[in-house]
Amino acid sequence: MPNLVNPEELEKRQIFLILASPASLRQRNIDVIMQVSALGYHTIVVTTNFPYTVLRKLYGETGVDLASVSFIDTVTRASIGTVTDIPGVVRYINSPSNLTDMGIAVTEELKEKTGKKVCILYDSISTMLIYLTSPNISKFIHFVTNKLRLMDISGVFLAVEKGLDPMLMSQLTTFVDTVIDAG
Amino acid sequence: MVVNTHTDQCGDADAGLFENALVMIAVLDKRGKIIAWNHAAETITGYTRDTVIGTTTIWRRLYPDQQYRNSVTGRIMEILSHKKYFENLETTIRTKSGDSRIILWNTKEIVQDGKTHAIAVGMDVTSQREADAFRESIIDNANVLIAVLDSQGYIIIWNRAAESITGYPRNEVIGKRDIWKHLYPDAEYRRTITRRITGIIAEHRYFENLETTIVTKTGEQRIISWNTQQIGFHGAVREIAIGRDITEQRQAEEALVAYMTEMAMRIKQPVGIIRDNIQEVVNLTRAGKITTDEMIMILESQARNATQITVNVQEFQKAIIEKNTQIPDAYREFLNG
Repeated sequence: MPNLVNPEELEKRQIFLILASPASLRQRNIDVIMQVSALGYHTIVVTTNFPYTVLRKLYGETGVDLASVSFIDTVTRASIGTVTDIPGVVRYINSPSNLTDMGIAVTEELKEKTGKKVCILYDSISTMLIYLTSPNISKFIHFVTNKLRLMDISGVFLAVEKGLDPMLMSQLTTFVDTVIDAG
Repeated sequence: MVVNTHTDQCGDADAGLFENALVMIAVLDKRGKIIAWNHAAETITGYTRDTVIGTTTIWRRLYPDQQYRNSVTGRIMEILSHKKYFENLETTIRTKSGDSRIILWNTKEIVQDGKTHAIAVGMDVTSQREADAFRESIIDNANVLIAVLDSQGYIIIWNRAAESITGYPRNEVIGKRDIWKHLYPDAEYRRTITRRITGIIAEHRYFENLETTIVTKTGEQRIISWNTQQIGFHGAVREIAIGRDITEQRQAEEALVAYMTEMAMRIKQPVGIIRDNIQEVVNLTRAGKITTDEMIMILESQARNATQITVNVQEFQKAIIEKNTQIPDAYREFLNG
C-alpha cells in the first residue's frame, strides 16, 4: 500500500488534495482509509459515488477497523427513499448537491467525535461537479477547509486527475496544504 | 466696361490675368463701391458685372441674412482696426441662384494715381471644404477610436468614438498630451506599455493589433486593440492611432473558454466516472462482493448522474446562446431545443 499521506503532515492537521486516475479513484479511497486508520484516526467519509454499505465491505476486506470509520452517504436515500441514520455509522443526505444538509451532517458528526483524532475524506470532488458549478464547489471547499482549520481537523479531498480546470485547480491549491498526484 | 475700368486701374498687361483668373477678384474704391468685377466673380456669384459695378449693394445680396452679414462685417472691422488687409477670411455667400458657396478672402490695399483701392480676392473653397467635412465626418462617425498626434505627441484629432469609448471629450484632450496618463493611471502598467510601444516602433515605425487595457473616465476597464501609422503632413510627422474596443469580444471569448472548460469538467470527466463506476459494479458483482440491492443502488446513482449531466448540457447550450449573439437562428433553435 503506498503511503499517500505524510503522517507528520497529517499530525499537523494538514489538508490534502489527492488526484487519481478515474480507474484507481476507489482504490485510493481505500488506501487513504487504511493508512489513516492505522495512524489511529477516526475517518468521516463523505461518499458521493457508492453507498456506504459497499464501501464498508471494501474497507472491511482490507482489515480496517470499521469502528474507526463513519459515513455521510449522499447515494442511498435517493435510491431507497426513507432511511434512518445509524448513530456513529452513517448519516444520510438526499443528494450530493445538498450542501446545506451535507454541512450540517459534517458538523454534527464532528461534534460527536470531539476529542478524537479525526480526518474527513471527501470522495469525490469530481462527482460533486456533476451537481454543482465550479464556483459553487470552490466556495464549498473554501468553507469546509476553513471549518477544518478552525476545528483543527485533517481533511482529504479526492478528485480525478486532469478533471479540474486550471482556475478551479489553482483555487483548490490555495485552500489545501498539499496536492498529491497519486496516479 | 469693367475691363476698361480694370485696364485703367491695373494696366493692359494685367488685363488678361485679371479676367482669366480662377479666383474672384473685386476692386473697391475708398467708399466701397465696386469698380472691377472679374469673370470668375460673375461665375461664382451669378451676378454680372453690369449689376455690380458702381454699386455697394452686392454684399447685401451675397450675405442676405442680416445677422450673418453683421457678423461678417464685425469680423472684417475687427481685422481692419489693426491692419489694412485681411488674410484667409472664410465666409459663406449666397449666389444669385440661391446656392451657398464658401469663399476664402484675401484683401490688399493699393494706391494708384493717388487713389486708394482695395482688391478683394475670393477663392471658392466649397468643394475643398465639403471634402474636408466629408473626411471629418468619416473620422468622426467611424466606430473606432481615432486619435491623431503631432510630432510632439500633442493630440490634434480625437473623434466621437474616442470620446464615447474613453469618456474624455475632445475639449479635454485636443492640444494636450496627458490623455495617456488618464487612460493608463497605473504607472507601472503605463511604463510597460510605453516600453512595448517604443520597442515596436523602433523596429517597425508602427504597430498592429497591440492590445492594452485602458481605464475610462468613469473608471471602467476597456480592452483596446491598437493600430498605428505614421504619415507625413506638410513636412511634419503625424501619428494616427486607431483603437478598436474589443472588450465585448474578449469577454465573449473568455466566457466561451470558461463554458468549454466547465463543460469538460462537468460532462466529459463525469461520463468517465459513470463508466468506471459501472465497470466497478460489474467487477464487484462478478466477485460476489455486493448484493443485488447494492448493485441497483449504484446503478440508480449512475442513472441520476447521467440525468444531471443531460440537464448540465442544456444549461451550457442556453448559456452559449445567451453569450453569443452571432449564432444563426437555426442553430439557436436547435441549441434551445
